[in-house]
Amino acid sequence: MRILEINGLTFSFAQAKEPVINDFTFSMNKGEIVGVLGQSGSGKSTLLRLIAGLEIPMKGTVKITGIPVVNEKLFIQPEDRSVGMVFQDYALFPHMTVKDNILFGLIRTNRNERKHRLKEMLELVHMEDYEKRYPHELSGGQQQRIALARALAPQPKVLLMDEPFSNLDADLKASIRLELRSILKKTGITCIMVTHDRNDVDSICDRSITMGSGNRISSKGKVLKNNTI
Amino acid sequence: MKLEMVKRYAQKELNGWWIVSIIGATVILLPILYVFLEIFQQPNENWFQIRVYLLKNYVTNTVILVLITGILTIFLGVTLAWLTSAYDFPLRNFFRWGLILPLAIPPYIASYTYRTMLSYTGVVQSTLRNQFDYQINPELFNFSSLRGATFIFTLFLYPYVYIIARAFLENQSSSYIESARLLGRKPTAVFIKVVLPLARPAIIGGAGLVTFEVLSDYGVTSYFGIHTITTAIFQTWFGMYDVDTAMRLAAWLMFIIIGVFILERLLRQRKRYHLSNKTKPLVPIKLKGLPRAGAFSYCFIVLSLGFIIPLFQLIAWAGMTFNKVWDIFFFTLLKQTISIAAISTLIIILVSTVIANVCRSKWAFSYMLSKVITSGYSIPGAIIAIGVLAVFIKLDKTLAPFYSYVGLGKAPLILSMSIVMLIVGYIIRFMATGYNAVEVGFEKIGTKYTEASRVLGHGVTKTFFRVELPLIKGALFSGFILTFVEICKELPLVLLLRPFNFETLATKTFQYAKDEMIHEAAIPSLMIIGISTMSVIVFHLIDKRVKK
Repeated sequence: MRILEINGLTFSFAQAKEPVINDFTFSMNKGEIVGVLGQSGSGKSTLLRLIAGLEIPMKGTVKITGIPVVNEKLFIQPEDRSVGMVFQDYALFPHMTVKDNILFGLIRTNRNERKHRLKEMLELVHMEDYEKRYPHELSGGQQQRIALARALAPQPKVLLMDEPFSNLDADLKASIRLELRSILKKTGITCIMVTHDRNDVDSICDRSITMGSGNRISSKGKVLKNNTI
Repeated sequence: MKLEMVKRYAQKELNGWWIVSIIGATVILLPILYVFLEIFQQPNENWFQIRVYLLKNYVTNTVILVLITGILTIFLGVTLAWLTSAYDFPLRNFFRWGLILPLAIPPYIASYTYRTMLSYTGVVQSTLRNQFDYQINPELFNFSSLRGATFIFTLFLYPYVYIIARAFLENQSSSYIESARLLGRKPTAVFIKVVLPLARPAIIGGAGLVTFEVLSDYGVTSYFGIHTITTAIFQTWFGMYDVDTAMRLAAWLMFIIIGVFILERLLRQRKRYHLSNKTKPLVPIKLKGLPRAGAFSYCFIVLSLGFIIPLFQLIAWAGMTFNKVWDIFFFTLLKQTISIAAISTLIIILVSTVIANVCRSKWAFSYMLSKVITSGYSIPGAIIAIGVLAVFIKLDKTLAPFYSYVGLGKAPLILSMSIVMLIVGYIIRFMATGYNAVEVGFEKIGTKYTEASRVLGHGVTKTFFRVELPLIKGALFSGFILTFVEICKELPLVLLLRPFNFETLATKTFQYAKDEMIHEAAIPSLMIIGISTMSVIVFHLIDKRVKK
């Protein structure tokens, strides 16, 4: 089943002469983990922001579970897209505890369900004892786990991860990579992960796309690679 | 294609927050536009009289005041900033923030304090006469002149230059100054050849603020009997009841303001003043011997003249009139001042928050909106007051049939006689103070938390209350304090827009001084100084937090 379908997506920054994303077409099936590789400034993070609804494309359509979220006539707000996102610097709310951060996205759920989901998420990321801590009381790796738990808690249809390892040191990175894949596979979530490190893709993703050498994504320029992990 | 993009932008961005912002911007822009449009109206006879006989004098006095005050405040502000940031001497840390204190004394209070202190019966001349048997030439202390006004403006407005120049020198100049020192240049040469040219944008920025304050002033100039464009606006309104001519004068003043703006931009143009990206604090050099005593004395004299002496004089006068002034009427005055300032400040912070939030989007329209909303601060209170007055009179005229329908009389002035007019005036004039503080708060938190909240399913309003508001409450608080203080101090606007018999601490102080009841003016003055000191403390705390 197609979870994400992108067709002819084009985006340009206000002052830029050329579009950073040009006529990009791509799709994903349920449960797939796709890595997006490319150099800095090639539009990797912009692609995630366009899917999430944090930027407006100049052209093209995005469909999530077959329902259009942006086309020439329509723009669905980020909060109504059912998309989860793990930001590069995690963006955990500094004035909320771990518990409140995770509960934040559980809007239309009753109290018991919220409690249950919180427990489930904390168990998933092995952080059961940390629910009362504030983000600044956690290490980089712990913050990343909580950011992942927060994004997964509302059961989004697609999970977007923007350079999730960029704030971690090399040793931690290696141990967390394998754990992340197992968490993602356990939940069965469809996930796009932006990274500039091929090792991330090799360890976690089912397949990957790479930005072209001219730092432009195009349907012609994309390189598809099937990984056997 | 473009239209399609605009449509998509509108779908993403347009919401209730935008509507509130656009209404706010319209309310702010309308009176200012009204003043501008007066230029295209047919002038009346009063205007011809003023233009032929008086305008030249008004403009000359205004320009002289601005120029001399500008030069002197730059001198005082920059030398003090240089001393306190580049050198170490006794009480330097105290002077660093203490030299901001003169800003807590509004110039109109300083003007009557100094004039009375230096008068024939004042403390200076009578002490010299009685204790030292020394008769001084009274002409030397003649304060009702341009000389007196420039003295007051310089001494009580230099902190604007000082604050900006000091921030620049302390944080951004160290590598250049250290290079110059290593290249063998002496301190004076370093100051003239390196510090002054580098600090030019900071100096111009500070001097710009001083200029706007001088152009806005009514208290000092009217007390000293100096005719400027601002005092002329008051005379045509209160003396001739001629709103049209007052508006025409206001439009002229507005052109001078625009001229100052253009000049400021031109003076900064084309040159780059800052190449180094690293900000490293300047390490002060320890002074010894005569320079050490000189630096200390210079700072001490300025602080004494600008804060300690007038403060002690006011305390002495307050002691003499305490029983007379400190009565039930005074509490009504205090209550009126605090409640109107609090109401206006609350509205300002509310509107600022809505608009600053909207202006975080990268839309070009939001940039324009932020410029419109903050335009009031550089426009003198008198211009805003005249614009607001004209708009409210027009509103009353438009609503006259409605008034008569509900039985309020034939053509009553309901809105233009109400407190609403004053509140609107305050909002337009001081929106920038609140807005800038709120904007800094939003800039500090960036957009990541907002985006995280939106992706987690919360809309704009819920995101604001649950995520942004708790994170920017510190900025809202400092914005509230700074705006509240400015409103409590404001004089020209309230003199023009207050309803009949409505007094604030500022108007009462001014009234006492005008009636030569100088001693009685001391208690409300001390109240205003006390309130103003709050903003100095907020400045100091913000500075301390930034340094941490």
